[in-house]
Amino acid sequence: MSSLALLAQNATGAATPADFMAARQQMAFTLGFHIILAGIGIGLPAITLLAEWRSLRTGDAVYAELARRWMKAAGVLFAVGAVSGTVLSFEMGTLWPGFMDTYGQVFGAAFALEGIAFFIEAIFMGVYLYGWDRLSPRAHLLTGVPVVIGGLLSASFVVTVNAWMNQPRGFRLENGKVTDVDPLAAMFNPATPTQAVHLVLASLMMCGFIVASVYAVALLRDARAGRVDRYHRLGFAIPFSLGAVCAPLQVLVGDWAVRFVADNQPVKFAAMEGVEHTEAGVPFRFAVLEVPNALSLMLRFDANARLRGLDSFPADVRPPAEVVRTSFEIMVAIGTALLALAAWWGLAWWLRRRAGGARADLPWRPWFLRLAAASGVAASVAMLAGWTTTEVGRQPWIVYGVMRTEEAVNPSPGLRYGLYVVLAVYTVLAAATISVLRRMRRRPEPAAADGPSAPPEAGTGAAQTTGEPADREAAASGAGGTRSLR
Amino acid sequence: MSYADAAIGLILVGLSAYLLFGGADFGAGLWHLVSRRRADQRVIEHAMGPLWEANHVWLIFVMVLTWTAFPPVFADVMATHWVPLSLAALGIVARGSTFVFAKAVPDQGWYRWIFGVSSVLTPYCLGAVAAALAVGASGWLTAVGLYGGVLTTVLCAYLAAVYLIWDARRLGDQGASLRFRGLALVSGAAVGLLALPGAAAFGVHAPLIWVSAAAGLVSLVLLVRRSYLAVRVTGALAVVTVLWGAAAMADLDLDAAAAHDAVLKVVLFSLGAGALILVPSMAWLFVLFQRGAPQGERPRAT
Repeated sequence: MSSLALLAQNATGAATPADFMAARQQMAFTLGFHIILAGIGIGLPAITLLAEWRSLRTGDAVYAELARRWMKAAGVLFAVGAVSGTVLSFEMGTLWPGFMDTYGQVFGAAFALEGIAFFIEAIFMGVYLYGWDRLSPRAHLLTGVPVVIGGLLSASFVVTVNAWMNQPRGFRLENGKVTDVDPLAAMFNPATPTQAVHLVLASLMMCGFIVASVYAVALLRDARAGRVDRYHRLGFAIPFSLGAVCAPLQVLVGDWAVRFVADNQPVKFAAMEGVEHTEAGVPFRFAVLEVPNALSLMLRFDANARLRGLDSFPADVRPPAEVVRTSFEIMVAIGTALLALAAWWGLAWWLRRRAGGARADLPWRPWFLRLAAASGVAASVAMLAGWTTTEVGRQPWIVYGVMRTEEAVNPSPGLRYGLYVVLAVYTVLAAATISVLRRMRRRPEPAAADGPSAPPEAGTGAAQTTGEPADREAAASGAGGTRSLR
Repeated sequence: MSYADAAIGLILVGLSAYLLFGGADFGAGLWHLVSRRRADQRVIEHAMGPLWEANHVWLIFVMVLTWTAFPPVFADVMATHWVPLSLAALGIVARGSTFVFAKAVPDQGWYRWIFGVSSVLTPYCLGAVAAALAVGASGWLTAVGLYGGVLTTVLCAYLAAVYLIWDARRLGDQGASLRFRGLALVSGAAVGLLALPGAAAFGVHAPLIWVSAAAGLVSLVLLVRRSYLAVRVTGALAVVTVLWGAAAMADLDLDAAAAHDAVLKVVLFSLGAGALILVPSMAWLFVLFQRGAPQGERPRAT
C-alpha cells in the first residue's frame, strides 16, 4: 500500500510517537544547520563587497586580501549550504507528505522563484570567483552585487513559505481539497514583511559577528604578543560594523514582529511572554525579573490593557509554552547584549573621530575583544532561538489553524532511524567544514595579481602585513579600524 | 496543450538534463574512485563544475515543479520511497561537500574516497526508485530496484567516460584520452547488455527501445573510429532514451493530480522570466571559465 493511502487511513499520523518526534527533530536539526549556512551565505558576500569597495576607493592591498579570503570561504560555505538546502527539499516530501499533498501547490510558486534567485546567486558567485584576474576591478565589484541580491531574494522567498505556514492565505478548503488557489496572495501573506525583514537582518548580524569573532581572537593574540596587525584590525572592523549597524535596526523590527504576533497569533504571543491567565495590567516577566504592568504598556501603550492568557485557549491548540518562552528569552537577551557591544563600538568610533586620532586604543580594549570573540557563537544561538520561537510557537499546527503537524507526517515506520543517520552525517559534516575553513586560513595565499604581498609566515594566519613598517605606521596612527568605514 | 502538459514536459526536460549532466558527474566520481592514475583523476577534477555541484539544480527544479504541479504524486513518491531517497539526499550532501573540501584542501585523501563512494550510492538509490516507479514495484529492495540501481549507475559511468575522452584530449593528455575511450567501450557494451534485455522484458514502447539501441551501437562505432565529439551526442541520446522509456511506462495519474491552472500559470511564467536572466548569465560564466587566466597564471579559484 502506498504511504498516502496509509496516511488517509490513519489520520493521526506517524507510525509511532517516537517516529513523529524524530521527524520534527530531524526537520529542526537540518533546517537549523541550513539557516546558519544560509545566513552566512547572505552576509559574507556583502562583507566581501564592502572590503573590495574600500580597496578600490583607497587602493589599499589589505582590503583586497581580505576580500579574496572571504569570498573563498564564502565559496566553500555556499557549496555546503547548497547541499544542505537540497536535503530540505527531499525532507519536505519524505517527512511531511501530508503537508505537500494538500498544500504543495499553494506555496510552490515561491519555491520556483527561490530557485531562480538562488541560481542567479550561484552563477554570479562563480563569475565573481573566476573573474578576480579576468575582469576590470570595477566590473568585478559589480558582479558581486547580483550575489548579494540573489541571496537576499532567495532567503526572502523561502521565508514567505514559513510566513504562509503562520498566516495561511490564498486558498479555500473544500472537502479537504484546496480550491481558488491564489499563489501570489499566499506568497504576500501578512506575516511575510515582518518575517523576511527580521530574518535578513538576523543573517547580516549573525554573519558579521561570526567573521568579526574570528579576527577578535587574532587581535587578542596580537595584543598578547605586543604587536599591531592592520590586517586583523580591518578584518574585524568591517564585519563588526555591519553587525553593529544592524543590531539597533533589529530591535525595532523585532518589536514590529512581536506586535504582529500578538495581533495575529495571540496564543504564540502568550507563550512567548509567559502570560498564563487573561488579565489586565500584565507585568513584563523576563527570567526572574518582573516589572508590573510593563507588558500591557509596551504592547498596547496602556498600563491596564487586558491581554489574553494561555488558559483562554483550548489545551489542544497551545504550543509547548516553556520551550517557546525560553527560546524567546534567549534571543532577546543575546540581542540586547549584542546591542550593547554595538553601542560601545559606535561610541568608541565617535569619540576617536572627535579626538582626531587620539584615544586610538578605545575600540581595541581586551575586555571588548573578549566579548566580541564570543559574539559570533552568541549571534548564531540567537538566530536558532528566534527560529525555535516562531516554529515551536506555531505548534501544534503545521499550517496555522488549518492542518495539525501530526496530520502531515509520513506514516511509514522507522523515521527515527533516519534521524540517527542524519545526526551522524551532519556531525561529521560540521566538523569537516570547520576543519577545512581552519586549514584554508593556515594555508599561505599565492601571490595576488592585484597587489604586492609579502611571503606569508608559516604557521600564523594571514600575517602578511605584520613585517612591513609602513603598515605598522599606518596602524599606529589610527588609519585602520573603524575609521576606514567612514 | 494544457498547462499540466507543459509542466510534465518541463519535468521530463529537467530529469533528462539531470541524467545527462548530473549523471555524468556521478559517473566521473565513480571513475575517480576506481582510477589508479593521478593523471586520469586530474582530468576528472578539471572537467567537473567550477565551484560547486551546479547540476543538482536540475534535481531541485524537478522536485519543486513536481510538488507544485502534481502535489499528490510528489507526496506519494517521497513518502513511499523515503529510505532510498533519504540516502540519495545524504549522498548528495557527502558528494557536494567533499567535492569542494578536496578543492580547498587538496592534501586530504579521505575526502576523495567519500566523494567516490557517494558518487555511486546516489545514482544507485535514485535509479532504484525510478525503476520501481516505472514498473510499479513495491520498493527499492526488489529485483526491479536492484536492476534499476545498477543500470543507472552504469549509465552514469558510461556517460562520464564518453565525455571525459574529449576533456582529456583538450587538456593534451593523449594517454588519459585513450584510457577513457577504453572505459567508454567497456561500459557502453555493459549498458547495452543490461538495458536491452530489461527493456524487452518490461515491454518498453517500441520506437524508444530501437532508438536507444541504434544510438548505442552507433556510439560504439564512433568510439572505435575516434569521433569523440559526435559520440557525445549519440551516447547522450542512447542514455536519455532509457529514461524516456521508463517514464513512458510509469503509471502515474498525473491529470487527476494536477494543480490548479492559476498556480501553473504563475509558476510557468516565473520560470520563463527566470530563464531570460539565467541563460545569458550562465553563458557569461561559461565564457569566463573557458577564457584562460591572464599572463599564463593558473586560475586561483580552483
